[in-house]
Amino acid sequence: MTLLEVRGLDAFYGDFQALFDLDLEVRAGETVALVGANGAGKSTFLKCLVGLVETKRGVIRFSGDDITATPAERISQLGLSLVPEGRLLFPSLTVEENLMMGALHRRPGAWTFDSVYEIFPILRERRRQSPNSLSGGQQHMVAIGRALMSNPKLLLCDEISLGLAPMVIEQIYQSFARIGSAGASIVLVEQDVKRAAAAADRVYCLLKGRVTLHGSARDLSFDELCRAYFGA
Amino acid sequence: MIWVETIVNGVLVGGLYGLLGVGLALIVGVMRVVNVSHGEFIVLAAFMGVSLSGLVPSIHPLVLLVPIVLVFFALGYVMQAALFNKIVARPDPFAAILLTFGLAVVMRNVMLEGYGADPRTLTAGTLAHASVRIFGLSIGVLPLLMLGLSTALFVALQLVLTRTTFGRIVRATADNREVVRLMGVNPGRVYNVVMGLALALASVAGVLLAIRSNFTAYSGVERLLIAFEVVVLGGLGSFWGAMLGGILLGVVQLVGLKFDPNAGPLYAHLLFFVGVLLRPNGLFGART
Repeated sequence: MTLLEVRGLDAFYGDFQALFDLDLEVRAGETVALVGANGAGKSTFLKCLVGLVETKRGVIRFSGDDITATPAERISQLGLSLVPEGRLLFPSLTVEENLMMGALHRRPGAWTFDSVYEIFPILRERRRQSPNSLSGGQQHMVAIGRALMSNPKLLLCDEISLGLAPMVIEQIYQSFARIGSAGASIVLVEQDVKRAAAAADRVYCLLKGRVTLHGSARDLSFDELCRAYFGA
Repeated sequence: MIWVETIVNGVLVGGLYGLLGVGLALIVGVMRVVNVSHGEFIVLAAFMGVSLSGLVPSIHPLVLLVPIVLVFFALGYVMQAALFNKIVARPDPFAAILLTFGLAVVMRNVMLEGYGADPRTLTAGTLAHASVRIFGLSIGVLPLLMLGLSTALFVALQLVLTRTTFGRIVRATADNREVVRLMGVNPGRVYNVVMGLALALASVAGVLLAIRSNFTAYSGVERLLIAFEVVVLGGLGSFWGAMLGGILLGVVQLVGLKFDPNAGPLYAHLLFFVGVLLRPNGLFGART
Protein backbone atom coordinates (compact mmCIF):
# COMPACT_ATOMS: atom_id res chain seq x y z
CA MET A 1 0.00 0.00 0.00
CA THR A 2 1.32 3.44 -0.93
CA LEU A 3 1.68 5.74 2.07
CA LEU A 4 3.25 8.76 0.39
CA GLU A 5 2.91 9.63 -3.25
CA VAL A 6 4.56 12.69 -4.79
CA ARG A 7 3.91 13.59 -8.43
CA GLY A 8 5.45 16.37 -10.55
CA LEU A 9 6.65 18.47 -7.62
CA ASP A 10 8.26 21.86 -8.35
CA ALA A 11 9.56 24.07 -5.53
CA PHE A 12 11.11 27.53 -5.59
CA TYR A 13 13.01 29.89 -3.29
CA GLY A 14 11.98 33.21 -4.84
CA ASP A 15 13.01 32.89 -8.49
CA PHE A 16 15.36 29.99 -7.83
CA GLN A 17 13.88 26.62 -8.68
CA ALA A 18 15.06 23.97 -6.19
CA LEU A 19 12.98 20.96 -7.30
CA PHE A 20 11.99 19.94 -10.83
CA ASP A 21 9.07 17.65 -11.61
CA LEU A 22 9.91 15.33 -8.73
CA ASP A 23 8.16 11.96 -8.40
CA LEU A 24 8.58 9.75 -5.32
CA GLU A 25 6.70 7.01 -3.54
CA VAL A 26 6.94 5.47 -0.07
CA ARG A 27 5.04 2.30 0.73
CA ALA A 28 3.73 1.40 4.16
CA GLY A 29 6.43 -0.18 6.33
CA GLU A 30 9.39 0.52 4.08
CA THR A 31 12.51 2.62 4.54
CA VAL A 32 13.40 4.89 1.63
CA ALA A 33 16.76 6.62 1.30
CA LEU A 34 17.04 9.93 -0.51
CA VAL A 35 20.67 10.55 -1.34
CA GLY A 36 22.43 13.38 -3.08
CA ALA A 37 25.21 15.91 -2.75
CA ASN A 38 24.92 19.24 -0.96
CA GLY A 39 22.36 21.47 -2.68
CA ALA A 40 20.64 18.57 -4.49
CA GLY A 41 17.27 19.57 -3.00
CA LYS A 42 16.89 16.78 -0.44
CA SER A 43 16.09 19.02 2.55
CA THR A 44 13.86 21.23 0.40
CA PHE A 45 11.89 18.14 -0.56
CA LEU A 46 11.32 17.19 3.10
CA LYS A 47 10.30 20.78 3.90
CA CYS A 48 7.75 20.63 1.07
CA LEU A 49 6.31 17.45 2.58
CA VAL A 50 5.78 19.06 5.99
CA GLY A 51 4.53 22.40 4.63
CA LEU A 52 7.55 24.55 5.50
CA VAL A 53 8.26 25.30 1.83
CA GLU A 54 5.42 26.10 -0.55
CA THR A 55 5.19 24.10 -3.73
CA LYS A 56 4.38 25.73 -7.05
CA ARG A 57 3.26 22.65 -8.96
CA GLY A 58 2.65 19.01 -8.28
CA VAL A 59 0.70 16.89 -5.82
CA ILE A 60 1.61 15.34 -2.47
CA ARG A 61 -0.71 12.57 -1.30
CA PHE A 62 -0.39 11.02 2.15
CA SER A 63 -2.53 8.04 3.14
CA GLY A 64 -4.60 8.82 0.05
CA ASP A 65 -5.31 12.46 1.02
CA ASP A 66 -4.01 15.45 -0.91
CA ILE A 67 -1.82 17.35 1.58
CA THR A 68 -0.08 19.63 -0.94
CA ALA A 69 -1.42 22.85 0.59
CA THR A 70 -1.78 21.63 4.17
CA PRO A 71 -0.12 24.05 6.63
CA ALA A 72 2.80 22.77 8.70
CA GLU A 73 0.73 23.06 11.91
CA ARG A 74 -1.58 20.26 10.76
CA ILE A 75 0.98 17.89 9.29
CA SER A 76 2.02 16.12 12.51
CA GLN A 77 -1.62 15.34 13.30
CA LEU A 78 -1.85 13.51 9.97
CA GLY A 79 1.06 11.25 10.92
CA LEU A 80 4.10 12.89 9.28
CA SER A 81 7.00 13.84 11.52
CA LEU A 82 10.30 15.51 10.65
CA VAL A 83 13.66 15.21 12.38
CA PRO A 84 15.13 18.44 10.99
CA GLU A 85 18.70 18.95 9.84
CA GLY A 86 20.77 20.38 12.68
CA ARG A 87 18.31 18.93 15.27
CA LEU A 88 16.70 22.32 16.00
CA LEU A 89 15.80 21.41 19.58
CA PHE A 90 14.29 23.91 22.00
CA PRO A 91 17.16 25.04 24.27
CA SER A 92 14.83 26.72 26.82
CA LEU A 93 13.19 23.34 27.48
CA THR A 94 14.62 20.27 29.15
CA VAL A 95 15.13 17.03 27.24
CA GLU A 96 11.84 15.67 28.60
CA GLU A 97 10.00 18.89 27.78
CA ASN A 98 11.32 18.64 24.22
CA LEU A 99 9.80 15.16 24.04
CA MET A 100 6.53 16.54 25.47
CA MET A 101 6.42 19.09 22.63
CA GLY A 102 6.48 16.20 20.17
CA ALA A 103 3.53 14.63 22.00
CA LEU A 104 1.30 17.74 21.84
CA HIS A 105 -0.90 16.24 19.12
CA ARG A 106 0.00 12.59 19.50
CA ARG A 107 -1.83 9.93 17.60
CA PRO A 108 -2.49 6.57 19.24
CA GLY A 109 0.52 4.29 18.96
CA ALA A 110 3.51 2.57 20.48
CA TRP A 111 5.74 5.55 21.25
CA THR A 112 5.77 6.86 24.79
CA PHE A 113 8.46 8.32 27.08
CA ASP A 114 9.33 4.80 28.18
CA SER A 115 9.70 3.38 24.67
CA VAL A 116 11.82 6.36 23.58
CA TYR A 117 14.01 5.96 26.68
CA GLU A 118 14.24 2.26 25.89
CA ILE A 119 15.89 2.84 22.50
CA PHE A 120 17.94 5.80 23.81
CA PRO A 121 18.62 4.96 27.51
CA ILE A 122 20.98 7.91 27.98
CA LEU A 123 18.05 10.30 27.52
CA ARG A 124 16.37 9.00 30.66
CA GLU A 125 19.45 10.00 32.66
CA ARG A 126 19.59 13.39 30.96
CA ARG A 127 15.85 14.10 30.90
CA ARG A 128 16.05 17.12 33.23
CA GLN A 129 19.00 18.72 31.42
CA SER A 130 18.97 21.35 28.71
CA PRO A 131 19.64 19.85 25.26
CA ASN A 132 22.50 22.33 24.92
CA SER A 133 24.40 20.36 27.55
CA LEU A 134 24.23 17.13 25.50
CA SER A 135 26.63 15.83 22.88
CA GLY A 136 25.70 16.07 19.19
CA GLY A 137 24.70 12.40 19.08
CA GLN A 138 22.52 12.71 22.17
CA GLN A 139 20.87 15.79 20.67
CA HIS A 140 20.06 13.73 17.58
CA MET A 141 18.47 11.14 19.84
CA VAL A 142 16.29 13.84 21.42
CA ALA A 143 15.27 15.07 17.97
CA ILE A 144 14.32 11.55 16.87
CA GLY A 145 12.51 10.92 20.17
CA ARG A 146 10.62 14.21 19.83
CA ALA A 147 9.48 13.23 16.33
CA LEU A 148 8.48 9.73 17.49
CA MET A 149 6.34 11.04 20.38
CA SER A 150 3.60 12.02 17.91
CA ASN A 151 3.46 8.35 16.77
CA PRO A 152 4.05 9.11 13.09
CA LYS A 153 3.12 6.86 10.21
CA LEU A 154 6.08 8.32 8.32
CA LEU A 155 9.28 9.55 9.96
CA LEU A 156 11.40 11.94 7.88
CA CYS A 157 15.06 12.17 8.94
CA ASP A 158 17.18 14.94 7.48
CA GLU A 159 20.97 14.39 7.46
CA ILE A 160 20.88 12.36 10.65
CA SER A 161 24.54 11.33 10.54
CA LEU A 162 26.03 14.72 9.71
CA GLY A 163 28.97 15.55 11.99
CA LEU A 164 28.59 12.48 14.24
CA ALA A 165 31.18 9.87 15.27
CA PRO A 166 30.79 6.51 13.46
CA MET A 167 29.90 4.71 16.70
CA VAL A 168 27.06 7.17 17.41
CA ILE A 169 25.81 6.91 13.82
CA GLU A 170 25.75 3.14 14.21
CA GLN A 171 23.66 3.42 17.39
CA ILE A 172 21.19 5.79 15.72
CA TYR A 173 20.87 3.59 12.64
CA GLN A 174 20.21 0.58 14.87
CA SER A 175 17.24 2.45 16.31
CA PHE A 176 15.66 2.66 12.84
CA ALA A 177 15.15 -1.11 12.83
CA ARG A 178 13.13 -0.78 16.06
CA ILE A 179 11.22 2.25 14.69
CA GLY A 180 10.38 0.32 11.51
CA SER A 181 9.23 -2.72 13.46
CA ALA A 182 6.90 -0.47 15.48
CA GLY A 183 5.08 0.26 12.23
CA ALA A 184 6.47 3.55 10.94
CA SER A 185 7.82 4.05 7.44
CA ILE A 186 11.04 6.05 7.23
CA VAL A 187 12.56 8.47 4.72
CA LEU A 188 16.29 8.92 5.29
CA VAL A 189 17.90 11.92 3.68
CA GLU A 190 21.64 11.33 3.55
CA GLN A 191 24.88 12.29 1.85
CA ASP A 192 26.45 8.99 2.92
CA VAL A 193 25.29 6.79 0.04
CA LYS A 194 26.70 3.51 1.34
CA ARG A 195 25.16 3.73 4.80
CA ALA A 196 21.78 4.98 3.58
CA ALA A 197 21.52 2.29 0.88
CA ALA A 198 22.40 -0.39 3.42
CA ALA A 199 19.59 0.73 5.74
CA ALA A 200 16.93 1.28 3.06
CA ASP A 201 14.56 -0.86 1.03
CA ARG A 202 14.61 1.57 -1.87
CA VAL A 203 16.85 4.47 -2.88
CA TYR A 204 16.22 7.71 -4.74
CA CYS A 205 19.18 9.74 -5.95
CA LEU A 206 18.75 13.49 -6.38
CA LEU A 207 20.94 15.80 -8.45
CA LYS A 208 20.25 19.52 -8.84
CA GLY A 209 16.60 19.11 -7.87
CA ARG A 210 15.87 16.14 -10.17
CA VAL A 211 15.59 12.41 -9.48
CA THR A 212 18.42 10.86 -11.49
CA LEU A 213 18.03 7.28 -10.31
CA HIS A 214 15.71 5.19 -8.20
CA GLY A 215 15.17 1.55 -7.47
CA SER A 216 15.48 -1.24 -4.98
CA ALA A 217 18.50 -0.84 -2.69
CA ARG A 218 19.33 -4.50 -3.32
CA ASP A 219 19.34 -4.10 -7.11
CA LEU A 220 21.31 -0.88 -7.41
CA SER A 221 25.09 -1.18 -7.36
CA PHE A 222 27.28 1.26 -5.46
CA ASP A 223 28.85 2.39 -8.77
CA GLU A 224 25.42 3.13 -10.27
CA LEU A 225 24.51 5.19 -7.22
CA CYS A 226 27.81 7.08 -7.30
CA ARG A 227 27.37 7.94 -10.97
CA ALA A 228 23.85 9.23 -10.34
CA TYR A 229 25.05 11.07 -7.22
CA PHE A 230 27.76 12.98 -9.10
CA GLY A 231 25.97 13.16 -12.47
CA ALA A 232 28.77 11.33 -14.22
CA MET B 1 16.20 55.11 60.15
CA ILE B 2 15.12 57.59 57.48
CA TRP B 3 17.47 55.91 55.00
CA VAL B 4 16.09 52.46 55.71
CA GLU B 5 12.59 53.86 55.21
CA THR B 6 13.69 55.43 51.92
CA ILE B 7 15.14 52.15 50.69
CA VAL B 8 12.00 50.24 51.73
CA ASN B 9 9.87 52.77 49.87
CA GLY B 10 12.21 52.40 46.89
CA VAL B 11 11.60 48.64 46.93
CA LEU B 12 7.85 49.26 47.10
CA VAL B 13 7.80 51.60 44.11
CA GLY B 14 10.37 49.39 42.34
CA GLY B 15 8.06 46.40 42.44
CA LEU B 16 5.59 48.50 40.49
CA TYR B 17 8.31 49.55 38.04
CA GLY B 18 9.05 45.86 37.54
CA LEU B 19 5.40 45.32 36.70
CA LEU B 20 5.63 48.17 34.16
CA GLY B 21 8.45 46.31 32.43
CA VAL B 22 7.39 42.67 32.68
CA GLY B 23 4.80 42.91 29.89
CA LEU B 24 7.42 44.45 27.64
CA ALA B 25 9.92 41.76 28.71
CA LEU B 26 7.39 39.08 27.80
CA ILE B 27 6.93 40.52 24.29
CA VAL B 28 10.68 40.97 23.76
CA GLY B 29 11.43 37.50 25.11
CA VAL B 30 8.86 35.64 23.03
CA MET B 31 8.51 37.70 19.84
CA ARG B 32 11.87 39.51 19.76
CA VAL B 33 10.16 42.84 19.06
CA VAL B 34 9.96 46.05 21.08
CA ASN B 35 6.42 47.39 21.52
CA VAL B 36 6.95 51.15 21.52
CA SER B 37 3.24 51.68 22.28
CA HIS B 38 3.54 49.80 25.62
CA GLY B 39 3.57 53.07 27.61
CA GLU B 40 0.42 54.32 25.88
CA PHE B 41 -1.44 51.13 26.85
CA ILE B 42 -0.35 51.67 30.46
CA VAL B 43 -1.83 55.20 30.33
CA LEU B 44 -4.95 53.98 28.51
CA ALA B 45 -5.56 51.51 31.37
CA ALA B 46 -5.22 54.39 33.84
CA PHE B 47 -7.78 56.46 31.89
CA MET B 48 -10.11 53.49 31.77
CA GLY B 49 -9.75 53.26 35.54
CA VAL B 50 -10.67 56.96 35.83
CA SER B 51 -13.71 56.50 33.58
CA LEU B 52 -14.96 53.39 35.40
CA SER B 53 -14.33 55.05 38.75
CA GLY B 54 -16.49 57.95 37.58
CA LEU B 55 -19.25 55.59 36.48
CA VAL B 56 -19.25 53.49 39.66
CA PRO B 57 -17.61 55.64 42.36
CA SER B 58 -18.62 53.23 45.12
CA ILE B 59 -16.28 50.54 43.80
CA HIS B 60 -12.63 50.73 44.85
CA PRO B 61 -10.14 51.21 41.97
CA LEU B 62 -8.34 47.99 42.95
CA VAL B 63 -11.58 46.06 42.31
CA LEU B 64 -11.92 47.80 38.94
CA LEU B 65 -8.70 46.04 37.95
CA VAL B 66 -10.71 42.89 37.19
CA PRO B 67 -12.73 44.21 34.21
CA ILE B 68 -9.81 46.36 33.02
CA VAL B 69 -7.45 43.36 32.93
CA LEU B 70 -10.02 41.33 30.96
CA VAL B 71 -10.55 44.16 28.45
CA PHE B 72 -6.80 44.61 27.98
CA PHE B 73 -6.22 40.90 27.50
CA ALA B 74 -8.85 40.89 24.75
CA LEU B 75 -7.41 44.10 23.27
CA GLY B 76 -3.91 42.62 23.14
CA TYR B 77 -5.16 39.38 21.60
CA VAL B 78 -7.15 41.14 18.86
CA MET B 79 -4.46 43.73 18.16
CA GLN B 80 -1.78 41.06 17.76
CA ALA B 81 -4.01 39.00 15.46
CA ALA B 82 -5.10 41.96 13.35
CA LEU B 83 -1.90 44.04 13.24
CA PHE B 84 1.32 42.69 14.69
CA ASN B 85 1.29 39.12 13.37
CA LYS B 86 1.62 40.57 9.88
CA ILE B 87 5.03 42.04 10.69
CA VAL B 88 6.40 40.01 13.60
CA ALA B 89 7.97 37.34 11.38
CA ARG B 90 9.83 39.86 9.25
CA PRO B 91 13.60 39.78 9.68
CA ASP B 92 13.71 43.60 9.81
CA PRO B 93 13.06 44.65 13.46
CA PHE B 94 12.33 48.24 12.38
CA ALA B 95 9.00 47.17 10.86
CA ALA B 96 7.61 46.34 14.32
CA ILE B 97 9.17 49.43 15.91
CA LEU B 98 7.70 51.73 13.25
CA LEU B 99 4.26 50.13 13.48
CA THR B 100 4.11 50.35 17.27
CA PHE B 101 5.52 53.88 17.18
CA GLY B 102 2.74 54.91 14.81
CA LEU B 103 0.18 53.25 17.07
CA ALA B 104 1.63 55.08 20.09
CA VAL B 105 1.28 58.47 18.39
CA VAL B 106 -2.32 57.76 17.37
CA MET B 107 -3.25 56.48 20.85
CA ARG B 108 -1.68 59.50 22.58
CA ASN B 109 -3.65 61.92 20.43
CA VAL B 110 -6.90 60.01 20.83
CA MET B 111 -6.45 60.02 24.63
CA LEU B 112 -5.63 63.73 24.51
CA GLU B 113 -8.79 64.33 22.49
CA GLY B 114 -10.91 62.24 24.85
CA TYR B 115 -9.53 63.19 28.25
CA GLY B 116 -7.73 66.51 27.72
CA ALA B 117 -4.27 67.47 28.98
CA ASP B 118 -5.08 67.97 32.69
CA PRO B 119 -3.32 65.71 35.19
CA ARG B 120 -5.53 62.94 36.54
CA THR B 121 -5.29 60.49 39.40
CA LEU B 122 -7.23 57.59 40.83
CA THR B 123 -8.25 58.01 44.46
CA ALA B 124 -7.90 55.02 46.72
CA GLY B 125 -9.97 56.43 49.63
CA THR B 126 -8.86 55.78 53.19
CA LEU B 127 -6.54 53.00 52.00
CA ALA B 128 -4.29 55.66 50.46
CA HIS B 129 -3.40 57.05 53.91
CA ALA B 130 -3.39 53.84 55.94
CA SER B 131 -0.02 52.68 57.25
CA VAL B 132 1.44 49.95 59.41
CA ARG B 133 4.50 49.95 61.64
CA ILE B 134 6.98 47.20 60.85
CA PHE B 135 10.26 47.10 62.87
CA GLY B 136 9.69 50.70 63.81
CA LEU B 137 9.16 51.79 60.19
CA SER B 138 5.96 53.41 59.00
CA ILE B 139 4.97 51.74 55.73
CA GLY B 140 1.90 52.56 53.62
CA VAL B 141 -0.65 49.75 53.32
CA LEU B 142 -1.43 50.59 49.71
CA PRO B 143 2.20 50.41 48.50
CA LEU B 144 2.56 47.13 50.40
CA LEU B 145 -0.56 45.77 48.69
CA MET B 146 0.83 46.89 45.35
CA LEU B 147 4.16 45.16 45.95
CA GLY B 148 2.29 42.04 47.05
CA LEU B 149 0.17 42.11 43.91
CA SER B 150 3.23 42.69 41.68
CA THR B 151 5.10 39.80 43.33
CA ALA B 152 2.06 37.52 43.06
CA LEU B 153 1.78 38.33 39.34
CA PHE B 154 5.48 37.64 38.79
CA VAL B 155 5.20 34.30 40.59
CA ALA B 156 2.03 33.40 38.67
CA LEU B 157 3.69 34.25 35.36
CA GLN B 158 6.74 32.20 36.30
CA LEU B 159 4.54 29.21 37.25
CA VAL B 160 2.53 29.46 34.03
CA LEU B 161 5.69 29.58 31.92
CA THR B 162 7.55 26.77 33.69
CA ARG B 163 4.85 24.38 34.91
CA THR B 164 2.12 24.36 32.26
CA THR B 165 1.76 23.01 28.73
CA PHE B 166 0.98 26.54 27.55
CA GLY B 167 4.21 27.79 29.16
CA ARG B 168 6.21 25.08 27.39
CA ILE B 169 4.62 26.07 24.09
CA VAL B 170 5.46 29.73 24.70
CA ARG B 171 9.09 28.94 25.52
CA ALA B 172 9.42 26.63 22.53
CA THR B 173 7.87 29.27 20.25
CA ALA B 174 10.36 31.82 21.60
CA ASP B 175 13.17 29.37 20.74
CA ASN B 176 12.06 28.58 17.21
CA ARG B 177 8.78 29.74 15.66
CA GLU B 178 9.23 27.49 12.59
CA VAL B 179 9.97 24.22 14.38
CA VAL B 180 6.97 24.51 16.75
CA ARG B 181 4.77 24.42 13.67
CA LEU B 182 5.98 20.83 13.14
CA MET B 183 4.57 20.03 16.60
CA GLY B 184 1.14 21.33 15.58
CA VAL B 185 1.53 24.79 17.15
CA ASN B 186 0.36 27.93 15.36
CA PRO B 187 2.89 30.58 16.46
CA GLY B 188 0.48 33.41 15.55
CA ARG B 189 -2.04 32.15 18.12
CA VAL B 190 0.67 31.86 20.76
CA TYR B 191 1.69 35.46 20.05
CA ASN B 192 -1.95 36.58 20.37
CA VAL B 193 -2.18 35.14 23.89
CA VAL B 194 1.26 36.48 24.84
CA MET B 195 0.30 40.00 23.72
CA GLY B 196 -2.98 39.65 25.64
CA LEU B 197 -1.04 38.70 28.78
CA ALA B 198 1.49 41.50 28.26
CA LEU B 199 -1.22 44.15 27.97
CA ALA B 200 -3.15 42.67 30.90
CA LEU B 201 0.02 43.07 33.02
CA ALA B 202 0.54 46.57 31.63
CA SER B 203 -3.03 47.49 32.59
CA VAL B 204 -2.44 46.43 36.20
CA ALA B 205 0.71 48.57 36.31
CA GLY B 206 -1.18 51.46 34.69
CA VAL B 207 -4.01 51.45 37.25
CA LEU B 208 -1.66 51.02 40.24
CA LEU B 209 0.58 53.85 39.05
CA ALA B 210 -2.47 56.05 38.53
CA ILE B 211 -3.35 55.46 42.20
CA ARG B 212 0.20 56.35 43.28
CA SER B 213 0.82 59.41 41.12
CA ASN B 214 -0.67 61.87 38.63
CA PHE B 215 -0.72 61.12 34.94
CA THR B 216 -1.68 62.85 31.69
CA ALA B 217 -2.20 61.75 28.10
CA TYR B 218 1.51 62.46 27.63
CA SER B 219 2.68 60.12 30.41
CA GLY B 220 3.08 57.15 28.06
CA VAL B 221 6.61 58.18 27.03
CA GLU B 222 7.73 58.36 30.65
CA ARG B 223 6.10 54.99 31.45
CA LEU B 224 7.68 53.41 28.37
CA LEU B 225 11.08 54.81 29.37
CA ILE B 226 10.86 53.18 32.80
CA ALA B 227 9.56 49.92 31.29
CA PHE B 228 12.37 49.91 28.73
CA GLU B 229 15.03 50.64 31.36
CA VAL B 230 13.63 47.88 33.57
CA VAL B 231 13.74 45.38 30.70
CA VAL B 232 17.26 46.29 29.53
CA LEU B 233 18.68 46.53 33.05
CA GLY B 234 17.17 43.16 33.99
CA GLY B 235 18.24 41.47 30.75
CA LEU B 236 16.14 41.38 27.61
CA GLY B 237 13.32 38.88 28.00
CA SER B 238 14.10 37.98 31.64
CA PHE B 239 11.08 38.32 33.98
CA TRP B 240 12.89 38.11 37.30
CA GLY B 241 15.49 40.43 35.80
CA ALA B 242 12.65 42.89 35.15
CA MET B 243 11.54 42.64 38.78
CA LEU B 244 15.07 43.18 40.10
CA GLY B 245 15.72 45.94 37.56
CA GLY B 246 12.53 47.69 38.67
CA ILE B 247 13.47 47.47 42.35
CA LEU B 248 16.97 48.81 41.66
CA LEU B 249 15.54 51.74 39.69
CA GLY B 250 12.97 52.46 42.43
CA VAL B 251 15.54 52.41 45.25
CA VAL B 252 18.08 54.55 43.37
CA GLN B 253 15.38 57.04 42.37
CA LEU B 254 14.16 57.56 45.96
CA VAL B 255 17.65 57.59 47.47
CA GLY B 256 18.67 60.10 44.77
CA LEU B 257 15.72 62.31 45.66
CA LYS B 258 16.85 62.35 49.30
CA PHE B 259 20.22 63.72 48.22
CA ASP B 260 18.90 66.00 45.54
CA PRO B 261 15.16 66.81 45.78
CA ASN B 262 15.11 68.44 42.32
CA ALA B 263 16.65 65.43 40.58
CA GLY B 264 13.40 63.64 39.70
CA PRO B 265 14.21 60.30 38.08
CA LEU B 266 17.72 61.49 37.04
CA TYR B 267 19.62 59.01 39.23
CA ALA B 268 17.47 56.11 38.06
CA HIS B 269 18.33 57.01 34.45
CA LEU B 270 22.02 57.30 35.41
CA LEU B 271 21.85 53.83 36.98
CA PHE B 272 20.42 52.53 33.70
CA PHE B 273 23.23 54.21 31.76
CA VAL B 274 25.95 52.79 34.03
CA GLY B 275 24.24 49.38 34.10
CA VAL B 276 24.23 49.18 30.29
CA LEU B 277 27.90 50.19 30.18
CA LEU B 278 28.97 47.61 32.77
CA ARG B 279 26.59 44.77 31.86
CA PRO B 280 25.29 45.29 28.31
CA ASN B 281 23.34 42.02 28.53
CA GLY B 282 21.62 43.09 31.75
CA LEU B 283 21.54 41.35 35.12
CA PHE B 284 19.89 38.17 33.77
CA GLY B 285 20.77 38.67 30.13
CA ALA B 286 20.76 35.09 28.93
CA ARG B 287 18.54 35.85 25.96
CA THR B 288 20.48 38.64 24.32
